[in-house]
Parts: sequence; C-alpha cells; structure tokens
Amino acid sequence: MDLLTLWLWPLLALVLLPGLLVYLGLHVVERGVIFVDLALAQVAALGVAVAILLGAHPEHDSLPYAMALLFTFVGAAVFALTRFRHLRVPQEAIIGIVYIVCAAACVLVLSRTASGDEEIKNLLLGNILLVTREQVLQTFGLFTAIGGVHFVFRHQFMLLSFDLERALALRMPTRFWDFLFYVSFGFAVTSFVQIAGVYLVFSYLIVPAVCGALLSARIGARLAIGWAVALAAGVSGLLLSTQWTSMDLPTGPTIVCVFGLLLVLSGALAVVIRHRETELSAVGAVPAGAEAKLE
Amino acid sequence: MSNKLRNGLCVLAAVGALLGARTASAELRVVATTPDFGAVARAVGGDRVSVEVLAKPTEDPHFVDARPSHVVKLNRADVLIEGGAELELGWLPPLVEGARNPRILPGAAGRIVASTGIALIDVPASVDRSQGDLHALGNPHFMLDPLNAKVVATRIAQAFCALDAPGCDAFRANDAAFAAAVDAKMQEWTQLLAPYAGQPLVTYHVSWRYFASRFKLRAETFLEPKPGIPPSPPHLAEVIGKMKTDGSRAILVEPFQERRVAEAVAARTGAQLASVSQFPGGVPGTDADYIALLDADVHAIAAALASAQAAASPSAPGR
Repeated sequence: MDLLTLWLWPLLALVLLPGLLVYLGLHVVERGVIFVDLALAQVAALGVAVAILLGAHPEHDSLPYAMALLFTFVGAAVFALTRFRHLRVPQEAIIGIVYIVCAAACVLVLSRTASGDEEIKNLLLGNILLVTREQVLQTFGLFTAIGGVHFVFRHQFMLLSFDLERALALRMPTRFWDFLFYVSFGFAVTSFVQIAGVYLVFSYLIVPAVCGALLSARIGARLAIGWAVALAAGVSGLLLSTQWTSMDLPTGPTIVCVFGLLLVLSGALAVVIRHRETELSAVGAVPAGAEAKLE
Repeated sequence: MSNKLRNGLCVLAAVGALLGARTASAELRVVATTPDFGAVARAVGGDRVSVEVLAKPTEDPHFVDARPSHVVKLNRADVLIEGGAELELGWLPPLVEGARNPRILPGAAGRIVASTGIALIDVPASVDRSQGDLHALGNPHFMLDPLNAKVVATRIAQAFCALDAPGCDAFRANDAAFAAAVDAKMQEWTQLLAPYAGQPLVTYHVSWRYFASRFKLRAETFLEPKPGIPPSPPHLAEVIGKMKTDGSRAILVEPFQERRVAEAVAARTGAQLASVSQFPGGVPGTDADYIALLDADVHAIAAALASAQAAASPSAPGR
C-alpha cells in the first residue's frame, strides 16, 4: 500500500525517466566514451555547487539548474571538439581529466559553504526517495522532448555513434551533430542528476546498455533488454529499500547495487546462451528456451 | 463476480475502519527530529505516547540523511516535534512533503516547533548565506540550557493535551515532575561548575552558547570559522593564539565533530578535551534521558576544567 501512496513519485520517476537514459546509454557505450556521462554529470554538479556558493538553495531556486546547464553546455562543446579519429591523446583521457578536475573543484567550491560535505554527498547520491510530483512531471516532459529530437534525427545520431567512417564519407557535419548529441545528452544528465545524483545517472546510462550488448547484437533488442534491466533495477531497488527489508537502506545506492547484480546475471546468461548456441549449431537444431528468446 | 468484489471491498472497508478506530484510541504517535526532544516527549507523554526519533544521537542535527523509514514514521505520526529556528531546515521539509501527512504539516495541531517561546540568542542583524551562516533566525541549540528544556516540556504537554484530552492530567503531572527533576539537578550542576565561573570554553560549533550562559561560563571561541564552515588552517592558528592569551583550557567535542582537529589544537595549547553531546545517547549511559545527558555533560566539562586548572598551576590545585 505504501508503494502507491508514499513512494508513488519515486516509483514513477524510476519507471518513466530511465527510458531515455537507457537509449542514450546505447550511444555512449557504442562510442566507447563510457565515462563521458560521469564527467558531464560531474560538470553539472560543479554548476550546482557554484550556484550554492552564490547563495542559491539547491532545491528551491532555479539558479542551480541554470548553472548546471551552462556548465554542461561548455562540457558538451569540449567533448564534441575533442573527438578525433586518429589521435595520440585518447578522448577517454580528456574525459577522465574533466571528471576529476570538476570533482576536485566541487570540493573546493563547497568547502566555502556551510554544508559542504553534505552537499557533495547529495550531488553524488541524490535523493530519489524525496522526488516531488513537479520534478517528475517536468523532467518527463523534457525527456519526451529530447526523445522526440532523437527520434527525428535518429539516422544522423545512429550513423555518428555506430558508423563514424560512413558518416565522414558522407561528409556529414560531424562536429555539429556531436555537439547536438552532447547538448541533448547534457540536458538529460543534468535533469536526472538533480533528482537522482551522479551515481544513479551513471548506472542508468551504462549498465542497461552493457547488459543489452552482452545479450544481443541488434540495436532494437539491446534497447528492449536495457529497458527491462532499468525497470527491474529501479523498481526492485526501491522495494528493497522501502518494503522488502527492514534494513532501512538508502534508496539510490541500493538501486546501484541491484544494477551490479543484474549485470552479473546478464553476464552469466550470456555465457549460457553462447554455450547453448554452439551446442545447438553443432547438431543443427533451432535455439529454444527462455534464454534464447532474449536474442 | 462484481458482487464478490463488492463484498470484498466492504470487508476491506470494515477492517480499515476498525484499524482507524483502534489507532484513534491508542497512544499518540510522536516523532521527534532529534533525541533531546524525543527524550522530553517521553518524559511528558509517559505511556500515553510512543516516541520515535529521526536523527541518531551521534548525527549532526543540521544534516540528517533521509531514509525510507523516516518517511514512513512521519506518514504515521500524530505529532512531529522539531527544534525550529532552521535547525532542521536542510532535511526536514522534503521529508515532511514526502510523508503526505496533514496532521504534521506546518501550522497543524500535531506540529510542535520547540523554539517558539524560547528567547533565542545570537540573532544576526543581517545574514549572508554565501558566507556560510547556518543560523539566520538565531542559535537553535537552546536545549542545552535546562531551563529551556522545561519550557519545551510544558509546550509539549500543552500540545499533547490538545490532541489527547483524556490524558491531559497525566501530561501536566509528568511535565511538573520533569520540571522538578530539572530544578533538583540544577542546584548540583550549578555548584559543580561554580568554581570555574567566567572561564572560557572552546567549542567546535556554536552549540554550547546557551549552556555556557546558564552556568556562567564563556563559549566565545569556535574551531569553525563560521557556523557550518569546516575549520581552516589560518582560523585554527588564530584560535590557538587566542587560547594562549585568554587561557582557554577546555575544548568540547561532540560525537559527529572532527575529533582530530580538536586534538591538534589541544596538543598545541595544552588544553583538555571533554567529550560531550547535545543529545541523549550521544555519550555512553545517557540513552533517551535528558537529565542523564546534562549530568554527563556537566561532569565531563567540570572534569576537563579541573584537570586543566591543575595542569596550569600544579603547586596550587583548585585555584
């Protein structure tokens, strides 16, 4: 009963919002810029930290969100400009540097405020449990809009992430599309960081996409698997922390750990499937059974 | 089929009504933000209330991590006791919003703001939050003055009376008993600390100002440069210099404060550390008992002041 009264909005947030994140995660994993989301989330967090230093309240004012967006756009531009095909400095290095410098800058900035340590923890862990109706609805509206943009320009975005060589051969303005990708990505990440914190954003972007990649080569199937994993982790994490156990676990970290568990299960499942496929192809039979259906 | 469903719903409704009736006649469910208010609520409410506390005694009352159980407790509460004066500003409002419980919303009969009726000290003329000022409405650590605890107890008794009229006599009697117990102890505490009248205490946060003024001590030096801002090396150097000139010889440390900082300062000044707590349960043997807590605090502070004095003038102990 509590689930639909007390935890209705966290539940809806965990059901409605990850859809877009899982899709964006597919791109990020395919591009091999895994830590770009952690870095952008941290850039956004630095924006919030600066706003707090300027005296804004992290939940009640609009300045933190505006600052987070501004910082994210700068980060998006940096990442769009540093994507080269042949380079001596891998982009992951730039991303890592952006992440760690922003994390350190966050600590510096917040050490000047009255509640620094707590704010840092809030930025990292978020508080999905106390998400409000307005937050969920606004973010869902925004995510729908971003999803719309990605749907309209799906060919460009897909080509850019999954077949860069062809995109270049077609003389697409890759920097422009990259920037647009990172801006839309930044919007999504910034909004979700406000609700759920850096850790949860990273989990939602990466774990479902990796589970999908483990279990299927096709994009559609990966997306479906990713959505299932995200839904399962979010809802069971929420239930674990609120209903199923009396341990009173903080919700965000619980969900992250459930994600870890689901990844291990997916890995095991992938091994089983591959094993069975080779066995079956040896005798020329058609794959059957629940695991094969996921393919 | 639909008949069956309707019957089922009727049974459910009846059970719900029964449960509602049961809880209405049962004890008041009280939630306190911090253990000091919880302890006083228990003393006043006796067996007519059940009390639950959100913050742990070893947790900083300004920053409490939201847990699922907090929302559940608040959702079922008949009464919420908070310190007010922005003590819980950072964490309580979103929890109350999440709890969706009209009985404890601001202004409701079940919402007790302990600081109303207390003469707050340290009210700033102007507040610059960007400079890290936690206390815009004045210092919220008033419960360490036992006379304030009496005021809060009476306030809680009044609120309980309004919500549970049949229990009113019991609440008033318990309130009177609590006040008498505090008064009895006050003499002893005042005597214990009297030899150190006017002496300075160094504290981490501004949490001992009411205590100091009640017992004629001074608490004017803080390890934090401003309330809530972590100690910085230049500020600590200033504190050490100040302690050497004004002869401060006791540093109070609470469970959630950085003990290492206090130890470093003590090592450079020869001061004594006193482990104290604002909250029952924060130091051993004080669980859920306000008077036991004050007793432990007063003894710890007196001991630190005594041994510091002995160390300062070994030839002439006790002044």
